[in-house]
Amino acid sequence: MSCYTMGIDIGSTTSKGVILKDGSEVVSTYLIHAGTGTKGPGTVREELLKSSGLTNEEIAYTVVTGYGRKTYEEADAQLSELSCHAKGSHFLFPEVRTVIDIGGQDAKVMKLDEEGRMTGFLMNDKCAAGTGRFLEVMANILQLDVSQLEEEAARAEEALKISSTCTVFAESEVISQLANGADIPALVKGICRSVASRVGALAKRTGIEEKVCMSGGVAINGGVREALAEELGTEIEYSPLAQLTGALGAAIHAYERATAKERKDG
Amino acid sequence: MLDDILKKFQEAAEHPEALKERYLAEGKQIVLVAPVYTPEEIVHSMGLVPMGAWGGDLQLNQSKRYFPAFICSIVQSILELGMKGAYEGVSALIVPSLCDSLKVLGENWKYAVPSIPFIPMTYPQNRKPEYALEYTLHSYERVIADLQKATGKVFSEKLLRVSLEIYNEHNALMRETVKELAAHPEISAQQRSWIFKSATFLRKEEHSALLKQFLKELKEQKAEGKKLRIVTTGILADAPSLLQILDENGLQIVADDIAAESRQYKTDIEAGNDGLVALAKKHASRDNCSVLYDPLKRRVETLVETAKAVEADGVLMILTKFCDPEEFDYPLIRNACKAAGLPIVEVEVDRQMENYEQAATIIESFKEMMESK
Repeated sequence: MSCYTMGIDIGSTTSKGVILKDGSEVVSTYLIHAGTGTKGPGTVREELLKSSGLTNEEIAYTVVTGYGRKTYEEADAQLSELSCHAKGSHFLFPEVRTVIDIGGQDAKVMKLDEEGRMTGFLMNDKCAAGTGRFLEVMANILQLDVSQLEEEAARAEEALKISSTCTVFAESEVISQLANGADIPALVKGICRSVASRVGALAKRTGIEEKVCMSGGVAINGGVREALAEELGTEIEYSPLAQLTGALGAAIHAYERATAKERKDG
Repeated sequence: MLDDILKKFQEAAEHPEALKERYLAEGKQIVLVAPVYTPEEIVHSMGLVPMGAWGGDLQLNQSKRYFPAFICSIVQSILELGMKGAYEGVSALIVPSLCDSLKVLGENWKYAVPSIPFIPMTYPQNRKPEYALEYTLHSYERVIADLQKATGKVFSEKLLRVSLEIYNEHNALMRETVKELAAHPEISAQQRSWIFKSATFLRKEEHSALLKQFLKELKEQKAEGKKLRIVTTGILADAPSLLQILDENGLQIVADDIAAESRQYKTDIEAGNDGLVALAKKHASRDNCSVLYDPLKRRVETLVETAKAVEADGVLMILTKFCDPEEFDYPLIRNACKAAGLPIVEVEVDRQMENYEQAATIIESFKEMMESK
């Protein structure tokens, strides 16, 4: 009999979910732009069940992760997002030893061993610089959608220098650049480099070990990925499931727990 | 019964102001001793009550008139408490010169809190050579002279010998307590912290009496539960929100290298005729601390050895924000732990922190990392 498990990742700006069959086959995924404190997490569960045709009872185990994990009551267990991103990244790229996860409000770098176990990690300090929030703030000033940043950066012939120290300072810098008639693509490329510089420094503190992959919402942005690859001097693996990596890892953890429970129950 | 004793530790730890009022009502004079390694024994021997001044968790407002934002929040909060009148009634404040922030605290205190005299305790950076002992002795003489002036009390070598014995006994009891606590996962990180924090406020003979009762009860109690074993390192680890996170994640502190905790009780005074010389030698023989000059940084090696000896699952570095001496040591500690295969994680704290959400995620991930090892 098949074992279905669910992983839910409740972030600061989005909620994501994955249903796995037997710990290896992705049955269903869902993402909504509504994070912790909203109806997003509930919707994720409903939509996952609807699209998979499964019922609540058929889900053997659910693990919740992410910023909003502590207030979600429908899971069997909760785990930190670092453990889930590590697990999900190892599933997607077994050869990866360094995972860089840039989420809505924080950035994390994880070191993995060959079995995908996390052997060390670092989180950013209490500043939005180098996070998805930073990109949102910058996109707002430029009257762009975050999803347009990649395209804009790709059109740039050069990158303008933007501070990576502080979001508020960087915001002032971008406004000054706009006032001086700066080229928008060059400005966007500079913004992507700013994120890469901040996160790259964090990654270098842990010690880069190849291969490197990116997870989290910001991984979708090719401009940041490219800038980060340049900053670290290495290729960066990326999966279209990058934003779902935490939820995927949670579903794998759920499968491991469900099968361990089964073995225990005999 | 054990709970009753823990409650006494808790009361002293959480309400030092009530303790201050009690001592004053008993007609005693109080002298504040700022961190780290202030010669409390001298204060005690003069019939004064030395009370620890490690600041407190509060919003910093008034102290910002004297300090920039990027300075250790321990010294900032000491000044804040002084400016807000929390220390009213005490006779003096002694501040040692062991880090740059502490040096600035003393100078600012003179202007910000003129009602409470500031007494400097200037230590030599090179504390071990013969000339350094002489330097320390001269500094003690300054402290004694200033204390006599501020309190009207007289120093006596004979009474110092008595105090030194009281402090030696307390040191031994604290070390025994740490060792015993490592065998009792049922005692929470918060409860463990009360024992250390109350030691900085209570007179040592009072605290020793409580420790003796506590140890007797603890030894009779059956150890319960199984937790992940960690060693903490840093300057300060008394924030209730942080300790709660450790308890929620089932982490037991089995040994520590915290300046406000075990580092205070590692070194005893050797027997000798001259109490002040013995006290200076005690300081000279102190080691393994970020604020004590050591070009070989043996603290790092000692920490790893301690963690191995107590069979720790990992090391938690509690880094006080803007503490340069600790920040300099952290990369060395991290590398040494990694080389020894000891999981290590760093959590940054300060006296103004209200939201520990990021620390909670870091500690939870650390727990999961240790579990999967």
